[in-house]
Amino acid sequence: MNNIEKAELIVVGGGPAGLSAALAAADYGVNVILVEEREFLGGQLVKQTHRFFGSEKEYAGTRGIDISKFLVEKIKENENIKILTSSRVLGIYNDKIVTILANNKMIKYSPKALILATGASEKFLAFENNDLPGVFGAGAVQTLMNLYGVLPSKKILMVGSGNIGLIVSYQLLQAGVKVACIIEAAPRIGGYSVHASKLARMGVPILTSHTIKKAVGKDKVEGAIICQLDSSWREIKDTEQFIKCDAICLSVGLSPLTDLLKQANVKTSYVPELGGYIPLRDENMETSIKNLFVAGDVSGIEEATSAIIEGQIAGLNVAKRIKKDIDNQVKIEKKIAEAKDELELLRAGPVGEKVRNGLKKIGLDPLKNYGEKVSTEEFDISFLMKTGIPSKENLKKKLPLSEDVFNKGPIAISECFQQFPCDPCVKSCPFDAISENGSINNIPYVNFEKCTGCGICVSKCPGLAMFVVQKNYTDSTSLVTLPYEFLPKPVKNQIVLVLNREGTEICEGTVKRVRDGKIQDKTTVVTIEIPKEYFLEARNIKVDGGQKHG
Amino acid sequence: MDENKVIICRCEDVTLAEIRNLIKQGFTTVEEIKRLVRSGMGPCQGKTCGLLIAREIAEITNTSIEKIEIQNMRPPYGGVTFEEVIAGDTIEE
Repeated sequence: MNNIEKAELIVVGGGPAGLSAALAAADYGVNVILVEEREFLGGQLVKQTHRFFGSEKEYAGTRGIDISKFLVEKIKENENIKILTSSRVLGIYNDKIVTILANNKMIKYSPKALILATGASEKFLAFENNDLPGVFGAGAVQTLMNLYGVLPSKKILMVGSGNIGLIVSYQLLQAGVKVACIIEAAPRIGGYSVHASKLARMGVPILTSHTIKKAVGKDKVEGAIICQLDSSWREIKDTEQFIKCDAICLSVGLSPLTDLLKQANVKTSYVPELGGYIPLRDENMETSIKNLFVAGDVSGIEEATSAIIEGQIAGLNVAKRIKKDIDNQVKIEKKIAEAKDELELLRAGPVGEKVRNGLKKIGLDPLKNYGEKVSTEEFDISFLMKTGIPSKENLKKKLPLSEDVFNKGPIAISECFQQFPCDPCVKSCPFDAISENGSINNIPYVNFEKCTGCGICVSKCPGLAMFVVQKNYTDSTSLVTLPYEFLPKPVKNQIVLVLNREGTEICEGTVKRVRDGKIQDKTTVVTIEIPKEYFLEARNIKVDGGQKHG
Repeated sequence: MDENKVIICRCEDVTLAEIRNLIKQGFTTVEEIKRLVRSGMGPCQGKTCGLLIAREIAEITNTSIEKIEIQNMRPPYGGVTFEEVIAGDTIEE
């Protein structure tokens, strides 16, 4: 037994949950060994080039890759954390001995506590010829594109409209890949409406109640046959359609990576709302085995923001057990309560319902303090959630009540219609003109009295849903300021094609101003002059020499 | 749908036709099917096929998927050579 190393805490997985767990525990003096299979830390964050939703406290408005850089830097500065990259946890045994393969050596550890933050793997789909080269998982597409700079295809079919499917579709467009269409088996888009709206504005069709029947091609994907589904998910006859594409990207959900948990005989349960087989655990993230904690997607599929908070809860609980002096206990206890509160708030909106239902199934109460605050959708967004295009009624709710308001000068319009936890627009406004009425889960509204139309919010909104309009620029023209994330960037005085919310070309416009500084952080804010009649329609541009949309 | 052209286990090239055939013969656990056709025994260790097979069993035997166990997991997670095991034993204190 003399070659078993003692350890205080081993954290498995260097993604958002593992990073925050390691930091939370190490901040209270716990010695942490952080094990990551790959050669770098950051997990899936390193591929996320988009801005994150959620609360500013958990880095909302910041791009995933930058959140990763920030957390990894803090990890590297912390003397209590030993980092083992390119290292794999091979086994967790009944006597809590953990074996790790690092530097071609299998080392045995006996830790006081373990936090498993192993994340998730992608689900696969059964359809004809699903092994043809050119059938990808969305994670692979992101790795190829965003990590290695390799284009996966020229024209792709996206299967699945959850946030991952929508975000990867958008990133494919940014990389210059055509997205033939996005299909979704459910009758409703799975991800956030703002992500879907970005794609609709690019002219990408989103087909709900559709599935893939087969991949077509001899040696590689040359197309796909899709069909329509009825309300009980059965194929509707004679709705087959051939989609020409050279790749098929599957984004049909994630399932927790529970291999190590199963090795350790942790009790699991099948909870479809949380991605499949998940470990049973308490509100402190502790599993059925004492001192074995979980955090992040392995405990149930959610967003990176909740993974970060779950990591904190797990890490703090380990610290509480190991560092027993009274002073620390009080401080840690307070931090745990704060983190739980934060997590509960994130899940309190309509988009958190699925997760809440899943958590109830494993005996947790996801709404201890916010039970009465649970909000339901403020207005009917069924059309928006089918197409990505807001209905006229939806728009009306977010526009000034009186047309006169447009006469005062430029004002911001928030085209955000769905309730999900997000607040960068509110936090970014220097004039305090955007409010969510006290809850991060509410829809933000612009106070047109206070708004000066400065345009700061346009690049801050992670959903690219903020616009500034100045109706009376001249007698016959208006100005519209919009976010633009494609190359090449437009230049002043350039003539660009102007598109509406459906991605249809409506007119030409002249670029009057391009803001592309540090504040905008790669979300270029472009002001265009357009014929006045289109000031409520113009929401996207096509720049000559740029990627072909759609 | 041509079940012979639907791959369920990518690592070991097991088709939907093979899986359905086994279930109909009475092999109604993921573990049994794994031992018969090696589904879930490749590099990914059942991350791709596990849920798909569980779903097939649930559908054909008319059982709720909650009641279907996925395959067992044993150490080591991924391959390890004897050389690596021995190297770890000579670690300095």
